[in-house]
Amino acid sequence: MKKRVKAIIQVIMVIGIFLTLGIWQTTQADAADNSLQRIKQRGELIMVTSPDYPPYEFQVNKNGKSRIVGMDIDVAKKVAKDLHVKLVIKSMNFDSLLVAIQTGKADMAIGGINPTTTRRQSVDFSKIYYSGGQSFLINSSDVNKYKSVKNLRGATIGAQTGTLQYGLAKKKIPNSTVKGMDKSTDLVLALKTHKIDALGIEKPSAEAYVKNDPSLKMIPSGYHLDKNEVGAAIAFKKGSDSLVNAVNKSIDQIKQQHLTDQYLASAGKYMKVNTVNTSMWHYWSYFAKGVEYTILISIVATFFGVLIGVILALMRFSKQKWIRGLAISYTEFIRGTPLMVQVMFVYFGIGVVVNIPALISGMIAVSLNSGAYVAEIIRGGINSVAAGQTEAAESLGLSKRDMMRFVILPQAFKNIWPALGNEFISLIKESSIVSIIGVTDLIYQLNIVRADTYRGVMPIFVAMLLYFIMTFALTRLLNHYEGKMKHAG
Amino acid sequence: MQDKTILEVKHLSKKFGETDVLKDIDGTVKSGEVICVIGPSGAGKSTFLRCLNLLEKPTSGEVNFEGTDLTNVDDKQLVKLRERMGMVFQSFNLFPNMTVIENLKLAPIRVKGMADAEAEKTGMHLLGLVGLQEKAHVYPSSLSGGQQQRVAIARALAMNPEVMLFDEPTSALDPEMVGEVLEVMQKLANEGMTMVVVTHEMGFAKEVADEVWFMADGYILEKGKPEDVFDHPQNERAKDFIGKIIQSV
Repeated sequence: MKKRVKAIIQVIMVIGIFLTLGIWQTTQADAADNSLQRIKQRGELIMVTSPDYPPYEFQVNKNGKSRIVGMDIDVAKKVAKDLHVKLVIKSMNFDSLLVAIQTGKADMAIGGINPTTTRRQSVDFSKIYYSGGQSFLINSSDVNKYKSVKNLRGATIGAQTGTLQYGLAKKKIPNSTVKGMDKSTDLVLALKTHKIDALGIEKPSAEAYVKNDPSLKMIPSGYHLDKNEVGAAIAFKKGSDSLVNAVNKSIDQIKQQHLTDQYLASAGKYMKVNTVNTSMWHYWSYFAKGVEYTILISIVATFFGVLIGVILALMRFSKQKWIRGLAISYTEFIRGTPLMVQVMFVYFGIGVVVNIPALISGMIAVSLNSGAYVAEIIRGGINSVAAGQTEAAESLGLSKRDMMRFVILPQAFKNIWPALGNEFISLIKESSIVSIIGVTDLIYQLNIVRADTYRGVMPIFVAMLLYFIMTFALTRLLNHYEGKMKHAG
Repeated sequence: MQDKTILEVKHLSKKFGETDVLKDIDGTVKSGEVICVIGPSGAGKSTFLRCLNLLEKPTSGEVNFEGTDLTNVDDKQLVKLRERMGMVFQSFNLFPNMTVIENLKLAPIRVKGMADAEAEKTGMHLLGLVGLQEKAHVYPSSLSGGQQQRVAIARALAMNPEVMLFDEPTSALDPEMVGEVLEVMQKLANEGMTMVVVTHEMGFAKEVADEVWFMADGYILEKGKPEDVFDHPQNERAKDFIGKIIQSV
């Protein structure tokens, strides 16, 4: 009983540390407004976006090179030009855009974001630079069934999680079931496979899909909305008045000169480029990059995971109670929280104190996570060595260190190796979670290809195959060495 | 020489939780003596032996090894003293990740700082003594139980110990292999090695032991020359035990 109470106290302490970090973060927001000055000094304007939302923002594959383009990107370019700074584009999930702004990962977020009152509570917004309007995508075969929004009563409606469309569908379509997903590409696929009946989406986006896919049709939403619910604006961290004012000047010009029409037209051209060749071979470089990052993250995380794991395992055998307690708390805490949350915590949470790039954050989070599991594997391996071995070593007068080095660890390693192999393999698969903070691993690239080609299933199949090739090759390699070790007695 | 005391146990008690396993045990082992500890299962024989080199920590009492009380030294000193006491286990406990000769060389090199060549020479000599020189470079898993136990004896001897402790060295062996191990032990005894042997081999005890200690229920109930203990046991429990053993032989 006493032990359990102690363990609980330790866990509470760890949580306490995290909470303190969180409070510290919120107090940070009150700092004086030097937002514009900071960007000018840096000479760079960092924006985040979720490039899976044509024609607002999406990736194009031209001559094997990948670029983020779209109306929003042109708006951002204009803003950067007017500020006389360089534009740096970062990409991540739509869900994470406003968090990235709040935690200072970027100066502004742009991505067809509607400046609703709820959102205004957590971020500042520029003036509205474009008013699209809301609409629904439906299957062509359902044209007669869903003639207008009124027919959607009781239907299953899809929308991107965290978007205005999601909230609107819930509020305004009676008896409907609203299904949320992260990626609009997934939603389109869900629509085409009849998992949902209609998809709530911004009008320009819907138009883009209809143009590229004859099996889809658009119906107007018929919502009566105020301008904040149809317009798109740029989001900034609270208290960035100087920056917002500067950006608003650019937006005034955009509106006066009707520049968005021009931007939309060029976005349309890019979309045609994308759909000329939608074979998976054409996109091999995307997949190659994804595989490269997945392997890179896995190798780094394996290395540091083993390092952390060995240290933790040794701590578990320490004579000092508090060192043992620390290792136990760490292991329990990491194993008791999802990797996804850990990835977000390192990127957004720790990121408040030190700004760590997404790739490094991903590597850190996956390494920290793997370390806890490796520690348990090593501990189990050491415990599995028969007690008689320790006694024999002791009776020969061997020191603790020599006993570990020559007798226990070599035997433990044989037991550890297969379990460690499984850990490496699951690392390759689980590292896919880093895509949520915009690391261009295989999953992330897969989503890009899906958004670009308007093909829902084929890229998934290719990614599946690539994952399998990686894990299968690793399995064979590990088996080879396992066999060698067995041979050595 | 014969009279020099190597091990002396005074008022030794050991509890596992609430269970008394050893109760106030006294005993003396002199240089060159062979002591055989016999008795029914659960008598506390193995625990007693393991208390002699402190693999088990006694609950109370003294274990004096050449005048030093082992229950009263720090870990470092204990390691130092232990290297002078060899131990052979029921389950051999050879290091399976090393060849036979590596098993023999590890402690002399790491603990005594012996040169590799010298350790190799000593090791090969000892393997010759137990008749296993040709097995020097194989792994323990390819040896029979009897061979493994002979290697384990050679490994303990490699540290040139002043006393050898045997914990039922033949109990885990197939019957046809018991002989070869006992033969090696007899050879050792003849060479004057001080030995404490926990065993069920009454023939060996009768022939080789200088003294037989009969243990039951955590006490040493009878001590004496083998012929006295086996032929004229005084204690009722000892009478009963030896009667049964002789019947079954």
